[in-house]
Amino acid sequence: MNASWRMIFGRRWLLVILALLFAWTVGRLGTQIVNLSETADPWAASARFFGAAFSPSFSDQNPSLPATATPFLERLGTDLLRTLRYAVIAISIAIPLGLILGLFASEQWLPTNKSRPVLNSLRWILRMGLSLIRAIHELIWALLFLAAVGDSPLTACLALAIPSSAILGKVFSELIDEQIRSARNVITASGGSGAQGFIGGILPAALPDMISYALYRFECALRSSAVLGFIGIETIGLGIRRSFNNIYYGEVWTQLYVLIALVIIVESIGNLIRRRLRNGVPRRKEAPSDSETALRKTAPKDHFVRSLGMAAIIGILAAWNLGDILLKPGIEGQRIERLSRFLAQLTPDPVAPERPVPTWEERKKAWNTGSDQVIPWLTNLWKSPGQEALTNTVAMSVAAIILAGATALLLVPWGARTLASAKPLGLEMMGGKIRGLIGAFVRGIFILTRAVPEYLYAFLLVGILGPSAWPLVFALALHNLGILGRLWSEVVENRNTSEPREILRLGGSRLQAFLAALLPLSLNRFILFFFYRWESCVREATVLGMLGISSLGYYISIRESFLQYDQILFFALLGAAAVIAGDILSDVLRKKLRS
Amino acid sequence: MSLIQVKDATRRYGATSALAGVSLSLAPGEKVALIGPSGSGKTTLLRLLGLQEKPSAGNVSTLGCDLCAGCAMSIRETRSKIGMLPQDLGLVANLRVIQNIVLGRSGTRNLLRTCRDLFFPSKSDRREIFESLQRLDIAEKMYDRTDSLSGGQRQRVALARSLFQGAEILLADEPLSAVDPARGRDVLKLLTSLSDEQGLSLIVSLHQVELAREFFPRIIGLKEGKIVFDGTPTDEQIAELYQS
Repeated sequence: MNASWRMIFGRRWLLVILALLFAWTVGRLGTQIVNLSETADPWAASARFFGAAFSPSFSDQNPSLPATATPFLERLGTDLLRTLRYAVIAISIAIPLGLILGLFASEQWLPTNKSRPVLNSLRWILRMGLSLIRAIHELIWALLFLAAVGDSPLTACLALAIPSSAILGKVFSELIDEQIRSARNVITASGGSGAQGFIGGILPAALPDMISYALYRFECALRSSAVLGFIGIETIGLGIRRSFNNIYYGEVWTQLYVLIALVIIVESIGNLIRRRLRNGVPRRKEAPSDSETALRKTAPKDHFVRSLGMAAIIGILAAWNLGDILLKPGIEGQRIERLSRFLAQLTPDPVAPERPVPTWEERKKAWNTGSDQVIPWLTNLWKSPGQEALTNTVAMSVAAIILAGATALLLVPWGARTLASAKPLGLEMMGGKIRGLIGAFVRGIFILTRAVPEYLYAFLLVGILGPSAWPLVFALALHNLGILGRLWSEVVENRNTSEPREILRLGGSRLQAFLAALLPLSLNRFILFFFYRWESCVREATVLGMLGISSLGYYISIRESFLQYDQILFFALLGAAAVIAGDILSDVLRKKLRS
Repeated sequence: MSLIQVKDATRRYGATSALAGVSLSLAPGEKVALIGPSGSGKTTLLRLLGLQEKPSAGNVSTLGCDLCAGCAMSIRETRSKIGMLPQDLGLVANLRVIQNIVLGRSGTRNLLRTCRDLFFPSKSDRREIFESLQRLDIAEKMYDRTDSLSGGQRQRVALARSLFQGAEILLADEPLSAVDPARGRDVLKLLTSLSDEQGLSLIVSLHQVELAREFFPRIIGLKEGKIVFDGTPTDEQIAELYQS
């Protein structure tokens, strides 16, 4: 059996494994998709909801509002600005922090002398710390910060900033280590220091990719900022929740449209900047080559990117300085007391001191009397409900990514630009106009589905279908359909080789060219992205349960209402462990596929 | 006085030895071509001469600096007088030409100055770089992004960096691999004429025997980490060098 046969068989096994896994998730999550009371009609409910999509409301739907109440559109504007503001503040904290963390998590600063192994192990500890921090979802950070420092805008910003910093740190460190060392080596070989080599030879080369990724993280922070509304922070999510719960579906759709528009605008600006950073700008004015001054004055400058950079700085300054006070004033002592109470609540129950604000002596005493109970406490939590909650969470993520992958696979041949045109892969063919329209439509689906955050989908779907695991699975699948669709389309579009063109030339259809050539050629990269998205599905699935379905998030929200932060911490760390395991698994698979 | 003194230098990587007992010396202003089949130790020898690695055994002294025995000046100061032209040129693609060149003087400047140089190079630096780019015939590219230049133009940028650095020795690792074959002669003409004008010592590793003979009075043949000949080789010596 030669290598290509082995590859095909290997991939068939993958299909079989995915089918079996999906069957397992169905067995695990049940087949009940709709879970409403007997009298409720899910068709009527969804018809009402989706019908309202065509009649978004521009004024309050509540007829009994007092005349003094803030009108709907004004409320919406404030919510939207606040959503944007928190995301801007968060990313302005996360970028510098991520840069510092990323530098220390990279190999760049390691000396070549004897202390290298010791420092390298410190670097690995830092990397693991970053993984742990990023594995915990923004919503959980927000719950913990709300309890620790109270309800302030700063709470929301920190909850967004902390996981973002960790993710940026991880990605920045990888980008830094990926760069070719040649330019740095020339600098050090001509007497420059390691720091000079880094500043001159590595950082400039890594910078475009770093900016590009930071822009993507800003987009994510924006979506997360909206989602924070669902736990009561006053962003657009809160508005959507209120309108939905009051059955003002027109209002819901207006807010959805505005949020989607904002996300799409941010994404398109990001794409523009990305393209310009990659290609640079051509020289517009020819200058006489005998005058240095003339050359310098006519040097190609990207005014678009520069003015956006200025706008970003102004935006950050405005976000920090305008609007509500970031940290609500409180008496210093109160704040410390609150934090101390929170820490006591965070302590595992068996060793928790009795009084809410304990002294050191009381803490020590509690530890001495209860420390042998900690392990049984943990085992009990794991037995019930930890184990089951974890399995359900993983099952949801697996079902979602398989659904998203299968749908994206069906749509990609219709959406990829190189196929959806009159001249697929440069060959004149029939039916171009219709294919072009279908292509634009499919790409529109990808853009729309990824613009809405998973949690928001989940909230709406649970509202329509009633509480069961499947609305959550569909929510995860929808968002990831948009992302996978885009990533996979890009893979197909970049594969401009002769094999698919040959199939078209011989009279094959576009679909045949896709199935027989483009798909097998791109399959490895497809699988790579599939696992990358699965890992983020696990992370998201840990919080979706907060909407009332038996999984980790469910127990986190239940324990939150009892202020049992020790148990919340347990479930959060359990979820983080699953994310890290998924991270490692997908890393291993990706490395295998690359080689 | 010789610029470079190498005595019985050996360099091993694990079990394989890239260099096995090489000795040579080089006078100021000398031009040397280093030829030999792939894997004969040319790059390793250049790295040792550039004080980037220590020999496993023997001595390498460049500009009076020996990594094993000690240096007349500090290592950084010595290195600031050695220009390196690696095979891939070592330029940052998305920086402007002037930014890449100004980094050549990192060895004699501190970190803060390097940061300043990247954004606001001083007037005298700008003038100096402009003049040397004029001499290399690519002055009009001074403020363009380096990746918008052709292979040959990029090589001139890398060369301008070494000139701006104020190198006394230039070590070039296969400088012809980045340009198309027809331009090879021009590149070597430029390198050797710069060497003549500025009294720059030149060590260039090459694959093209004919070009080496045309431009270099002294040719060193390396095979399996040993020097096979040093001077003006006969045709038989060349044939033997490339015989496996």
